[in-house]
Order: sequence, then structure tokens, then C-alpha cells
Amino acid sequence: MKLFSKEELATYNGKNGAPAYLAYKGKVYDVSDSFLWRNGNHQGFHMAGEDLTTSLDRAPHNEDLLERVPVVGILDDTSE
Amino acid sequence: MAKVTREVVEKAGVNVDQLVESLVRNAAAELTTYYYYTILRANLIGLEGEGIKEIAEVARIEDRNHFEALVPRIYELGGALPRDMKEFHDISGCPPAYLPEDTTDVNKILKVLVEAERCAVRQYTNVCNLTAGKDHRTYDLALSILNEEIEHESWFSEFLGEGPSGHFMRRGESSPFVSKFLK
Repeated sequence: MKLFSKEELATYNGKNGAPAYLAYKGKVYDVSDSFLWRNGNHQGFHMAGEDLTTSLDRAPHNEDLLERVPVVGILDDTSE
Repeated sequence: MAKVTREVVEKAGVNVDQLVESLVRNAAAELTTYYYYTILRANLIGLEGEGIKEIAEVARIEDRNHFEALVPRIYELGGALPRDMKEFHDISGCPPAYLPEDTTDVNKILKVLVEAERCAVRQYTNVCNLTAGKDHRTYDLALSILNEEIEHESWFSEFLGEGPSGHFMRRGESSPFVSKFLK
């Protein structure tokens, strides 16, 4: 499975036709086809291209919603 | 815009622009759900469907009421609805509640309905969390809407066999919690 640095993940921000990826607990998810991630923006609070592990803990939904989208890689958390 | 209203909410520590964006997204979800529920309700027919049509209709009308109740608060806080209806649809805080491909499958229609209500429950829980103790008017509005969305979810959940809703359907008047914002 592809290894993403944080810098590389940031390019998958859903803007200008780029795919929208996010990281959660070390996995990278592709949310490009999700209605709720249009243009890489989720509810005006969160942006694609980021590690949302701590944010999801405060969200009004559980991590099981991520089971609906494909995993496309692993986040290299040693990267800057 | 209600200038002091916005000022005191900001002073309480709320990011008002972010809050307004959330309210606009929720208003979009309510109006689009009203539209999609119109189609779902129309397709709830036959021996199975007719029994659900009444609560789908109540949820439909109450979602429209939620839209009506949200709009004044958006403008009070300095926000506005998008000029373009297509844009409004696409920024909805909840996905479209599309009619399933198999329009005769009542169970699938029920799943669409319950998913839409669950999204709404999450949305208004979030608005309550953002405004509790800080923006009393938005909190009161979001809590009132949340009360109705929770009831909608439990009605549809009951029909899906997930357990009793714990309460009875509306008798006469709709929007028992939100109606105070519509007067």
C-alpha cells in the first residue's frame, strides 16, 4: 500500500480537480466521491489533505463512517 | 444583520463565520430534504408503504419548518443564502435523500429516510455543542430542531425493526418544538 508523507497528503486537498484524501489513525482514505467532501471541504470545518485523527474525536459521528470510503495508503507519521 | 447580536456571540468565543456557514449548510439540507421527501412520500404506496406515508409526510413538513426557522437566524448573524439554488443544493450538510432504484422496496426507502434523519441529528448536535452557553438563541433553535430530528429518526428506526421509538406519532399539530420560531 502506498506510503504518504504529510507533505504529499497535503496535495490531495480536493481543490482544482485534485482528489480529496484524509488521514485517520495512520490510514489514508479517499473521500473524493463523498458528497460531504465536495471541493475538499467538510461542513466548513475540515479540509482534505490533512491528518484528522484528533478532529474526528470531537466530531458528532464515529469513525465507522470512514468504512464507507476506500483506504488508499498509509500515512508516514515520521514525515514533516 | 443584528450588529450587537453578532458582537456578543463573537465575544463569547464563537467563530461566527463558521457558525453561519454551518447554519446555511443545515438550511440547505432541510430544504433539499423537503424536496427529496416529497418524492419518497409519493412512492410510499401499497400495503407496506401506506403505513409509513403519514410519518414521512410529518417529517417532510417539519423539515420545511426547520428551513423557515433557520433562515432568520442566518441573516441576524450577518449571513445570507446563496443566490444560486444549485449552489445551495450542493453545499447541503447532508447528502441527497435519493429515491432508491427499486422504487417498490419500502425497506430501502426507509433506510434512506433514517439515514437522512441521522445526518440531521449529527448536524444539530454539532451546532448545540458549538453554541452551548455562548449563543443562547442559536442554541435554543438548534436544540428545538434536534428534538424533532431525534423523533423522526426513532420513528423510521422503529419501522426498520431496530426497537421501539418510545413515543407516539404527532396528533394534529406539527413541529411541537420549533413552532415557537415560526410565529
